[in-house]
Amino acid sequence: MPDAGRAPVLEVQDLRKQFRGQRSLVDVLRRRPARHVTAVDGVSFDIRPGEVLALVGESGCGKTTTGNLLLGLLPATAGKVILDGRHVGSLSNRDLLRLRRNVQMIFQDPYESLNPRMRVRDIVAEPLRVHRVGGTTAEIDGRVREALEQAGLKPADAYQHRLPFELSGGQRQRVVIAAALALRPSLLVADEPVSMLDVSIRADILNLLRSLADEHGISVLMITHDLSTVAAYADRIAVMYLGRIVEIGDARTVLADPQHPYTRALRSVVPVPDPSARRRPVILAGETPDPSRIPSGCRFHPRCPVAFEACPRVDPPLYELGEGHRAACLLVEPEYRAAAERERLQED
Amino acid sequence: MTALVETQAPAAAPLAPPRAGMLRTLLSRPMGAIGVAMLLVALVVAVAAPFLAPYDPYESIRVTVFDIYQKPSAAHLLGTDDGGHDVLSALIYGARVSLLVGFSAAFISFLIGGLVGIVAGYRGGRTGAALMRFTDFFLVVPDLALQIVIVAIAGPSLLNIILVIGALGWTTSARLVRSQTLSVRERKFVLRARAIGAGDLHILRRHILPQVLPLMIANMVLVVSLAILSESTLAFIGLGDPTLISWGQMLNFAFDRGAVSAGAWWALVPPGLAIVWVVLGTTLLGTALEDVLNPRLKRHHLERERFPRRRAPAVDPQRPMELPQGAATAPLLSVRDLVVEFESPSGPMRAVDGVSFDLRRGETIGLVGESGSGKTTTVLAMLRLLPPGGRVVSGQVLFDGDDLLALGPAELRAVRWSRLSIVFQGAMNALNPVRTVGDQVAEAIRTHEPGIGRRAAAVRGRELLERVGIPGRRGRDYPHTYSGGMRQRAMIALALACDPDVIIADEPTTALDVMIQAQILELLARLSAELGMATIMVTHDLGIVGERCDRVLVMYGGIIAEEAEAGRLYAHPQHPYTQALLASFPDVAHPDRRLVGIAGVPPRLDNMPPGCPFAPRCPYVFDRCLAERPPAFPLTHGRRASCFLVEPGHERAAAAAVTAEPADA
Amino acid sequence: MQGRGAYFGSKIGWALVTIFVVITFNFILFRVLPGDPAKAGGHDPRLNPATQAALTKRFGLDKPVLLNLDGGNPFDTQYFAYLGALARGDLGDSYNFRDQSVGDLLGDALVNTLWLVLPAQVLSIVAGTLLGLLAAWRRGTALDVGALTFSLFMWSLPTFFLAILLLFAGASLFDLPTAGGSTIGAVYGSFWDELLDRGRHLLMPTLAFTLVLLGEYMLIMRSSVIDVFSEDYILTAKAKGLTTFRIIRDHALRNAMLPMVTLIAINLGFTVSGAIQVESVFSWPGLGALTVDAVSTRDYPVLQGAFLLLAVCVVIANLAAELIYGWLDPRVTEG
Repeated sequence: MPDAGRAPVLEVQDLRKQFRGQRSLVDVLRRRPARHVTAVDGVSFDIRPGEVLALVGESGCGKTTTGNLLLGLLPATAGKVILDGRHVGSLSNRDLLRLRRNVQMIFQDPYESLNPRMRVRDIVAEPLRVHRVGGTTAEIDGRVREALEQAGLKPADAYQHRLPFELSGGQRQRVVIAAALALRPSLLVADEPVSMLDVSIRADILNLLRSLADEHGISVLMITHDLSTVAAYADRIAVMYLGRIVEIGDARTVLADPQHPYTRALRSVVPVPDPSARRRPVILAGETPDPSRIPSGCRFHPRCPVAFEACPRVDPPLYELGEGHRAACLLVEPEYRAAAERERLQED
Repeated sequence: MTALVETQAPAAAPLAPPRAGMLRTLLSRPMGAIGVAMLLVALVVAVAAPFLAPYDPYESIRVTVFDIYQKPSAAHLLGTDDGGHDVLSALIYGARVSLLVGFSAAFISFLIGGLVGIVAGYRGGRTGAALMRFTDFFLVVPDLALQIVIVAIAGPSLLNIILVIGALGWTTSARLVRSQTLSVRERKFVLRARAIGAGDLHILRRHILPQVLPLMIANMVLVVSLAILSESTLAFIGLGDPTLISWGQMLNFAFDRGAVSAGAWWALVPPGLAIVWVVLGTTLLGTALEDVLNPRLKRHHLERERFPRRRAPAVDPQRPMELPQGAATAPLLSVRDLVVEFESPSGPMRAVDGVSFDLRRGETIGLVGESGSGKTTTVLAMLRLLPPGGRVVSGQVLFDGDDLLALGPAELRAVRWSRLSIVFQGAMNALNPVRTVGDQVAEAIRTHEPGIGRRAAAVRGRELLERVGIPGRRGRDYPHTYSGGMRQRAMIALALACDPDVIIADEPTTALDVMIQAQILELLARLSAELGMATIMVTHDLGIVGERCDRVLVMYGGIIAEEAEAGRLYAHPQHPYTQALLASFPDVAHPDRRLVGIAGVPPRLDNMPPGCPFAPRCPYVFDRCLAERPPAFPLTHGRRASCFLVEPGHERAAAAAVTAEPADA
Repeated sequence: MQGRGAYFGSKIGWALVTIFVVITFNFILFRVLPGDPAKAGGHDPRLNPATQAALTKRFGLDKPVLLNLDGGNPFDTQYFAYLGALARGDLGDSYNFRDQSVGDLLGDALVNTLWLVLPAQVLSIVAGTLLGLLAAWRRGTALDVGALTFSLFMWSLPTFFLAILLLFAGASLFDLPTAGGSTIGAVYGSFWDELLDRGRHLLMPTLAFTLVLLGEYMLIMRSSVIDVFSEDYILTAKAKGLTTFRIIRDHALRNAMLPMVTLIAINLGFTVSGAIQVESVFSWPGLGALTVDAVSTRDYPVLQGAFLLLAVCVVIANLAAELIYGWLDPRVTEG
């Protein structure tokens, strides 16, 4: 279980990322301004040791960009990332590289994320070589073996000399996890770690990630669109919509009693295998708006089933609801709720 | 390339061929073997020229009129040329110049093109764009004209010729290398290396070069053939090195000095054929190399159908299914004992092995299974749309009294789409990118209603698009301007175009967001209820089955493991596979349930267990399961399961954790 | 259709830039390379000293090359003089053909070359497309293997060698003429006689050209058609109940032609080199033969002019191909 008392492994404060739109020759000639796409628009959260935090949202909500920012794959436009108590932006390149050992990534597609020409051993040893960790061959050997067995590939010797095409999808994903574990990181960023795997294999990989958190204290940031896996494996959930976190809190609480209308809708459309539990889903019309044209006020209001007069005007902050549960909806505030109630009565 | 075929393509296809076997693969292809042999001959001739040539063509000889253009004879096997020299000897020495120029120039091109291509591809951005502009410029400059100009000005020495051909021949390699580098750069393992913290040099050396280099070399072999052609052309025009004998030069002299009018074919044909020999050899080798490294799909959808067409049914269509169906209405569609095989180098692989089921009017059934279970193959076989290499071995697909598998081409076309239509997974590829969406919908209408006018079909197409929630004017747009959800809606509009009785939806929401998925599933359910269509939903998602299906068929390893009404299947799964699948499936309504994966992996088509396909992963397996394939045992409530544990009177049934369903649940 | 306008605009813009670069490149090429042809021209022994001096003055060889930085008009240089002359359509005079300007020579030659190249291109594109389509459709059959072998062989045949063989065959088997565009000094009794004579001269060069291009077009079309035939939308078309003929006509052909259009564009440079070879074998009075003659007689103004014209033709034809591509494929023009 996550240790709430200890300092967070990762703190993200007001992280932003804007992509400059490409202007073509014609755009330049016509003096058309470049379009900026705001992919991440002020995201703050933290992760404690041994905690699994799920970043949930639909494609284009900025969850993957957030992950890439944490890994340093993209430079952030603004905001702070504090890793193991150190502000990433203030470090020299050398210290940054050292710090980056502590965050490792697990990708969605195990069929594509292994170099088809490299053997398992070289794949797992690669991070050690890149970071010049481990020194002697014997030492590297030991750490590769340890990582493979930690990832559930036992005995390690049976896998070390294989090529990726000789492995099943689940085994490949375990190799990816082993490579991530080789540097003994404190945080794993897992971007849709099971969505490309067969249904019957998924639970094992998710159980493995959960046990890494529980037994080895490794924190996991799980980026996913699938609320049902989140329900079973995450400690906390952060729901993202158009570059913002709209609701964050304990996983069970958020799923049992979602406060943001977007979370409610998202929760209601997750298909449930039990036909007797069928309920009428709240299906939002249309698609997520273009992130280069974010709506005014609450960014969710054009699709919100319960929007009222104030929503296009006021951009709601994340209101505290107790026990770390927060939601960015005006309706959780008593004043606004009363106003919305009045509006509804007038319409009736 | 073809998302559809992926699901049933032999699961054995590796990511990349292991390197060790490459040479053998190359030589096992006729093209590669012939190319290598031809080049080896040329190489041996060039190296051993002094030993092979009967005369020394560089030796100056005194000639008389009688010596020139002598017919082939014992002394001069290929006669003599315009200077009285032995053609055969000149031919043998000429191999040296051709090969030297070809390989040296190609090597220069390889270096320049490789460097430009890798930098342009890896750096991208402005540097890449500028380099590609530079390359494009050289691509439009007519290279022979430029070669002529430069060699004419700089002087026709061997070195100049090599440098000019090399320095002008790199553009195609640069383009190829750039596009290869670009695609490798975007691959996930490169992204992963970057996430690890690896620098550019490490990524280039360890990940990009090993992927790009083989293709670069294959391309270089092709550039060699171009360089040899260029050299001979320059020499023929009179810009060859005057101190050396080359094949182009021989042709130049012979052609300019009256060989045609003298009828001296022996002075013209052999050097020409020698060039063809070397160029053909390198071209064959290069093409074969590219083919080995980057195998292209060689099969396509318009190949002749391989199907034993026979009118006499193997199974009596009137025979009722031996399972009690419990329903009074006759089924609209009955699949009986369907068997499908795919060709493979190691013999036929059985992808579907005796599948039978019924579909009644207006009902929605779910065909659920993991990859390789045969669910997509089953529906494609029903419509006779199997990917190339696949073939229905036996079985029947009875639709309104006709066996679809026995229809003639015209009868089959009449049934397709007008009565049975299909929504493919991944609508991006299922719509033609160069025709507007409205046009494609209207086409379906006009195909099955030949009398309807162009205008009327377009109006109907518009109505259909509106019906699935796409503004009618968007019908004039092309598929690539649609979002993923819109494309799938368009695909549904297309499927509804001819008011079919049955819609088959093959993973209709895979790769879509949950909200869009809900929209699409709701749309499908609403429309099939309104229009009274029956639906077959092919999916791997038990949630979709639970939400949207009346009846469920669970497929595993090419057979139907279990069939049941959706609620009963969830409450009382009978087959161990169904039980395990449900236990591994996350359910947002039950977050506290610990999920258990199924040990092992689904069986591969090329390695199917002889007994029950689930036996290797089954917790209740016993000896009979390994040896014998369990038939479908009928159970109460119109259910059936293919497992010996549910066999009536099976002594272990009670002991195993098979939950007995209360008779009146 | 704003995207389409922007696409066409940018393609035309880049073509203009490329032409400008070609012009500059052409200027530099003939002045920088060893042998300095302008000076060599000035010292051509065939010219008397007065003409030499006039020529030197004409070329402005006393002027700076690119920019005049010694004061005075900065554009009073050889380069801008060259640009100015080009703008007036003045490409200089030939050394060999004393009374003819390079422009006139090139104009006549271009017309002759087009007579040869255009029919051959059209023929080879039509035949290559059909053959490629057929081979792909009946993949793996004897027809396919035969077409493939034929194409690879044609591709490996040097153009000039094929031309020589056809010349040989035409002269000895069908008594066809071996040189020129028409019989020299012939007086034609009627229009039909002239047409027949020209046709007899054109037959073998066109055939040589067609065969050379055919092989590659067929190879590309074949692999392009196989790619398109294995696309999912072909499966959709089949599921819709279309006949094979309609699937090919309405769904496959246009998509399969896309790589062909690119290839034709890229091949234009190759077309030029083919023209040079075919024309020099058949002594066809076109641009290619003119270029080769200019090389052997060191007639640099003609060489420079011919190179410029060839390059500009290729750029323009390339532009045409790109515009056609944009028209065929909505994906490149509408973002």
